[in-house]
Amino acid sequence: MRRYARLFALQLRTSLQTGLQYRWDFVVEGLTGLLFALLGLLPLWVFKRNGAAVPGWGFPEMLVVVGWFTLLKGLIDGAVNPSLIVVVDHIRRGTLDFVLLKPADAQFLVSTGKFEPWRVLDVLVGVAICGSGFVLLGRWPGALDLAGALLLLVSAALVLYSTWILVVSAAFWVVRLDNLAYLFMSIFDFARWPVTVFRGAVRFAFTFIIPLALMTTYPSMALLGTLRPATGALAVAGALGYAAVARLVWRRAIARYTSASS
Amino acid sequence: MIRVAHLTKEFRVHRRDAGLAAAVRSLFRRRYDTVTAVRDLCVEIVPGERVGFLGPNGAGKTTTLKVLAGLLHPTGGEVRVLGHVPQRREPDFLRQITLVMGQKQQLLWDLPPADTFELNRAVYSVPEADFRVRRDEIVELLGIGDTMRKPTRQLSLGERMKCELCAALLHGPRVLFLDEPTIGLDVSMQHTVREFIRVTNERHGSTVLLTSHYMVDVLALCPRVIVIDRGRLCFDGRLEELVRSARPEKRIVVKLERPVERADLEAIGHVVRHDAAVAVLQVGNASLREAMARLLAGLPVADLTVEDPPLEEVMRDLFAREAGAAGADADGTGGPGGGSAEGPEEGEGDE
Amino acid sequence: MSRGPSSLAITLRAFPTLLRVGFADAVAYRAEMVVWMLTTTMPLVNLALWHTAAAGGPIAGFGQTQLTAYFLASFIVRQLTGCWVVWEMNFEIRTGRLSQRLLRPVSPLAGYMAENLAALPLRVLLSLPMALVLAFVVGGREFSHDPAIWLMVVLALCLAWLIIFFSMAILGTLALYLESSSSLWFMWQGLFFAFSGYLFPLPFLEAHAPRLFHALHGLPFYYQSGFPLELMLGRHDRAAALHYLGIEACWALGLGLLLAVVWRAGVKRWNAYGA
Repeated sequence: MRRYARLFALQLRTSLQTGLQYRWDFVVEGLTGLLFALLGLLPLWVFKRNGAAVPGWGFPEMLVVVGWFTLLKGLIDGAVNPSLIVVVDHIRRGTLDFVLLKPADAQFLVSTGKFEPWRVLDVLVGVAICGSGFVLLGRWPGALDLAGALLLLVSAALVLYSTWILVVSAAFWVVRLDNLAYLFMSIFDFARWPVTVFRGAVRFAFTFIIPLALMTTYPSMALLGTLRPATGALAVAGALGYAAVARLVWRRAIARYTSASS
Repeated sequence: MIRVAHLTKEFRVHRRDAGLAAAVRSLFRRRYDTVTAVRDLCVEIVPGERVGFLGPNGAGKTTTLKVLAGLLHPTGGEVRVLGHVPQRREPDFLRQITLVMGQKQQLLWDLPPADTFELNRAVYSVPEADFRVRRDEIVELLGIGDTMRKPTRQLSLGERMKCELCAALLHGPRVLFLDEPTIGLDVSMQHTVREFIRVTNERHGSTVLLTSHYMVDVLALCPRVIVIDRGRLCFDGRLEELVRSARPEKRIVVKLERPVERADLEAIGHVVRHDAAVAVLQVGNASLREAMARLLAGLPVADLTVEDPPLEEVMRDLFAREAGAAGADADGTGGPGGGSAEGPEEGEGDE
Repeated sequence: MSRGPSSLAITLRAFPTLLRVGFADAVAYRAEMVVWMLTTTMPLVNLALWHTAAAGGPIAGFGQTQLTAYFLASFIVRQLTGCWVVWEMNFEIRTGRLSQRLLRPVSPLAGYMAENLAALPLRVLLSLPMALVLAFVVGGREFSHDPAIWLMVVLALCLAWLIIFFSMAILGTLALYLESSSSLWFMWQGLFFAFSGYLFPLPFLEAHAPRLFHALHGLPFYYQSGFPLELMLGRHDRAAALHYLGIEACWALGLGLLLAVVWRAGVKRWNAYGA
């Protein structure tokens, strides 16, 4: 375990060094991240000024959701997506062999292949937006609510990561997947608003098929203290099951890659 | 150390004919062909040996190497490396081997090789002290003290290959699988890499299994060669025996005082080259003495030397003969094992 | 001393061939194109929000159906005006492939333009399903019935394409100075998102931030998305439409000239320092 923690730290440092290789891009990237996070607030401001409302969600509550979304997006863009792009590249160039020959867990190695350090800014901005929502509400989440929300954050991260593993596994069958990362991200954009803005079949899909509700709406509700514990528990269980399936598929994919029937 | 018994590796390749109609058809019904990359291969290698693995493109060299390293599962037969079943890829096994692929690189593109070294140290959990000693030794042997501090993307091919070798050997593996380690390098760089491999083997007693297209590599490095073609073992033994068995003939180079008739030469042996001043004849070992006597007696010979045929030609001959034999026995695989574009040799990395 | 045909003449003569090759290329990459199209989810994300928001009554004159029309059409406009030249330039500059383009007698900019234009027929084709959805869900009610306005819509879209292509190419050219300019492009993209009417129709700002609202009509972003959309929906009369078309044309021309200047200087620099 300690060995993996050290490895993790080393991979993180390597990513930072790589980022610093292109100085100009590195600086602009940081600024752009900040700009994007703040621009995300603009529609919300327009929304409020026009006196619009989403049933069940006041403006401060919407802020909490958007803040949570920003936080999670920072997490994906910073820790999940870059590695996805790296591993797809490995598969295409045939250098995944080197990873498989390392005496460490291959899933761990590919999942920590690359980080985008600047995305920490998004996470911080997200926390700030969430916080400002609570300032407007004039109250703070209880310890229990916070714990529940954190638990759901872990679940959401797990679901995202598992989706990622599934996507990578798919790359063993279909080689050209560069675009898939972008597709993945653009679908995640639907989690920007509370799931209640969708109706009918779309809401069902975003709750159960592509569980976007689990990622932003439920944790926000937990923070706000409006989530029923049973729903939360179900969400956590679902996330765990999903992760187990993803791990299984990954093992199958690697076995297939090495037994290489074609 | 390495024991391979009746190893067979088959690939299933999806067959699609050219053209749009075929593409549409293949959506509904896929046809598969089975390509045998390695067939019934039996080899034993003892610790400390340097073995050269020869064969034409698509012969199954890379496939065999990958099976031995645990990257491919064998279809049949048994493989043991250091007492392990490679395909299980147990950490204890992986820590003792290494694979260098001349055409692929593990170095991080944007960072200096030294950072990749550091990363590998952590991945292989090499103790700091061992790591230092080993790194300094390799760095000195290859002369990459400065190179390893420059970003990989700015290195030349040769510098990169040397750093690749270093990255692959830092954990002190006991078995080295080297797949075309000198490909694309210039002559002096090839020499450096070869010498490095030899010194590593002699100092640490590690076992080396090497494939190469360059005969010089094999000639200089490997007392023992294994030749495979179309997945089958053709030869396993000492290099000189290979030359003798493949072509039990000698070459007589004759310098002539004045031009002679070609027919006069053909009466003595097979004419390889013939012009006004020089003739090269090829004759069997047994008739060498007689041929020389007849040459000296009947023709205006100024000078005469006897040589072995060049290794490159020996190999070409050997494979041509094997190809003829394979064509004759109708075993139904059709065509060379991996000679086509989708063959496992070239294509497998991209799966 | 006789001189060969001018490079402009060569470029003009080669352009149809460049287009044909570009089209074949686009067809070959059709699968990627479909995936790229599917990544355009933003209009739908925002439609969901504003549609819900307008349940209580129209916002700034936009009712629910009109918002649906606005955002679905926005999806199509985005498809039709899409370019990727900034990525290609960044890639070719980083890998040194630009040199090969510079060796040809045809200007690389013309080459890039042909490649991006040649994808248009396929993009139109791929947008058809969304157009059908639009026709089915909204029908003709929300759109302008004035043929003159539609003529101007076409013109506005052409100019929008030019504005997007030119600004992308300018930012791509900056990679000649900066090694990589893709993060600069992301920044520009962020401004586009916020100020073009892509996230919300700009009239939403009119009552609450009138100064910003008017200022945005002077920037190029509005003309890349909001303006053609508002035209289609019949929110401008002919006189106003002509006024805005004029501003749009100025931007297209200005960016085109800026590109020419930046490109010339950049190539000179590239030739001096090499790749």
